[in-house]
Amino acid sequence: MIGRTNNQSKRAGPKLSFILPLVGFLILAGFAAAALFATLSGSRNPAQLPSVLISKPAPATPAPMLDNAAATLDLATFAGRPLLVNFFASWCAPCQAEAPALALLSETLPVIGVAYKDKPADTQAFLNQYGNPFSAIGVDRDGRLGLAWGVYGVPESYLIGADSKILLRHAGPIDRRVLDEVLIPAIRDAQ
Amino acid sequence: MIAELGHFALILAFVTSIVVSIVPLVGVALGNTKMMQLAVPATVVMTGGVLIAFAALVWAFVTSDFSVALVTSHSHSAKPLIYKISGTWGNHEGSLLLWIVILVSFAAILTVSGTAMPMVLKTRTLAIQGIVSAAFLAFSLFTSNPFARLSPAPLDGNGLNPVLQDPGLALHPPTLYVGYVGLSMAFSFAVAGLLDGKIDRAWAIYVRPWITAAWCALTIGIALGSWWAYYELGWGGWWFWDPVENASLMPWLVATALIHSVSVVAARGIFKSWTVLLAILAFSLSLVGTFIVRSGLLTSVHSFASDPARGAFILGILLFAIGIPLALFAWRGPQLINDGDYQPVSRETGLLVNNFLLTAATIVVLIGTFYPLGLEMVSGARITVGPPYFDATFNPIMGVLVLAMAFGPVMAWRRGTLPALRFVASGAIMATLVAVLAGLALFTGISLAGLSGIGMIAWLSGGILADIFHRVKHAGKGRIGERRAVQMPVWGMWCAHLGMVVFLLGALGNGLFATETVVRAKPGDVIDLAGKEITFAGVEARQGPNYVTSTAMLELRRDGQFLARLEPENRLYTAQRQTTTEAAIRPRLTGDDYAVLGDGDARKGYTLRLYHKPLVSWIWAGAGLMALGGLLAAVGRARIPHHSAELDTWT
Repeated sequence: MIGRTNNQSKRAGPKLSFILPLVGFLILAGFAAAALFATLSGSRNPAQLPSVLISKPAPATPAPMLDNAAATLDLATFAGRPLLVNFFASWCAPCQAEAPALALLSETLPVIGVAYKDKPADTQAFLNQYGNPFSAIGVDRDGRLGLAWGVYGVPESYLIGADSKILLRHAGPIDRRVLDEVLIPAIRDAQ
Repeated sequence: MIAELGHFALILAFVTSIVVSIVPLVGVALGNTKMMQLAVPATVVMTGGVLIAFAALVWAFVTSDFSVALVTSHSHSAKPLIYKISGTWGNHEGSLLLWIVILVSFAAILTVSGTAMPMVLKTRTLAIQGIVSAAFLAFSLFTSNPFARLSPAPLDGNGLNPVLQDPGLALHPPTLYVGYVGLSMAFSFAVAGLLDGKIDRAWAIYVRPWITAAWCALTIGIALGSWWAYYELGWGGWWFWDPVENASLMPWLVATALIHSVSVVAARGIFKSWTVLLAILAFSLSLVGTFIVRSGLLTSVHSFASDPARGAFILGILLFAIGIPLALFAWRGPQLINDGDYQPVSRETGLLVNNFLLTAATIVVLIGTFYPLGLEMVSGARITVGPPYFDATFNPIMGVLVLAMAFGPVMAWRRGTLPALRFVASGAIMATLVAVLAGLALFTGISLAGLSGIGMIAWLSGGILADIFHRVKHAGKGRIGERRAVQMPVWGMWCAHLGMVVFLLGALGNGLFATETVVRAKPGDVIDLAGKEITFAGVEARQGPNYVTSTAMLELRRDGQFLARLEPENRLYTAQRQTTTEAAIRPRLTGDDYAVLGDGDARKGYTLRLYHKPLVSWIWAGAGLMALGGLLAAVGRARIPHHSAELDTWT
């Protein structure tokens, strides 16, 4: 019973499918190598994303507030000066990393948080642990608000001008460098 | 001196590993038996060298030899002995050495245990294992030398990351590594089989114990990691879909598929090319797991050791260790095809469905883990896809798998079903009906997701229990297909499948019925938690062996009757000025009470996070049962002579 190699039929047909794993691996490895060497050379860094919403008014999709589900997050309350809208979630590790930068930023301008696809209790626990830099927090349980803004994922931030138009979009965590080289100059220009 | 001895032993092991990688393979090509036989003694020498090196490193940690740079940066003379020892692998260099220890030890075990194996298969398997060892030994020696000296030697060390100073984490990496590295044996067997151009039922029977052992260790390792995250991170969660967790889940999913597909090869001699591919992929994903942790490519709460420069070396190993076998597979794989004569309704189809679903689940996790990286390459954006993605994609696939699990074992090889099918089906349907009705009656306002979860678990457990009942009752009664007493591997299968039931109960109880409150409390406050009262007596400072704490004193009562004292604390490790959060947990079979102290002061009040998590410990108990099932199956098969393929027909 052992060693029934003789009845292996050698067919030409499905050979292509045997190459697929190799091709798939090489594509993945290519991505990984590119990422790695970009990191090594120091050129891999979070950058701003183009957005079709730049210089358009911020979407007005309503969302309930975290501390009072009956109230609605309204950006118009903050109109007349620049503000930052930050999409975050408790399940997102980079969001923990940007907590200090957001706290620093909240001294300069109002920072509005949107808890993206997150349970309010989890959001609250996250804020307790990492601090709450937000002037107001909207709850976006089903991601509808994120869809309206066109977010790729969390964390993602939008700088809004005094005229309530979107000035800049930043995908990824805000660290000290992004703060100094991207956001602070943009805020200065906006004012 | 001891450190130099260790370094020398490591170099010796590296040189020997090159001999193991080359000479036996040349011997096979030339038909030179002497050269082939060299594989065994060379493997033993290589293993000896690595073990001496590892012992030397443990010695340096235990004696706090701060002239060794690694000890200085990761240990401290005031640390308890157990954490001095576990500190050996609580860092990049040491954990890499531990990885190599396990890698070569597996090869050494094969030199002793594989006596019945054909010479060529055994030689090639040892040589492939030697090549992998050589690559990792080079990685260790050239980029991550654990024995590098520091001069002048400092008076004391910088300590170990306090989050890692924990019994769960002392055990978690070694167990996980046994799983990861155990899959290297499946890999070496697969590559050796491809070189032979011959994979048969005997091959499957030789490789299966390794796969089962690796799978069991991986199961336990992942469960330990999840348990550690549950009680140490202070988040109350047990799985975060974090890249590092995903990195261990992917090899597990593939290894689970592999365990099932290799049984088809062992019993029927078909699915060979697929099984070989799974074996290569399982170990590849283990390597990718290492790659993710070591290189810091992906952001993760668990990434304590990351260094992109080393990532380049690992990437080289990956290209070599995955690319070449996959190229070999593209070349030799088509020769392994043979037409299996089986009908759409058969055990083969059932296992095909199992493999398809597990592979789909792996791909979903792979995409969720690497999509952010791919997106970053294309657009520069650095983002996270979190639980929402996995809930929407992974969970439905697993749901279908659970439904199918009830019926897989009652399919017959080649075609048709076993006589137990009708009984098992009625068991599953009845259990589902009862559970859904009970769910509706007991939990008012239960969500559809909760109800379908309950139904699904009942379906699976009803099916398994009916199968057990039927087979045990009819065993030895001479009906076709049920002649013999129920064999131990079958009990192992049931045990592992029931482990899945227990795991799902835990996940469901914790996911749907958990209670959570976040309060700002002042001393004297009483907080309600799931029908119990928690009295907050205040916060006091305490002195630990190498840390100071602020400890909250909580008393848990039900209807005024004292149940337990909960003392969650925040620790400040004085040597490295780092803080950790220690949750207080009252674990019970029915559920855990879990308390975490946040920030605050006596005037404003302290933030307290309080959870009641029903059945949460069943999650890890379920994983334990799965591993036990694997063990039963492996032991059961070991007791039966190798050539008795009859066992594998099970029917």
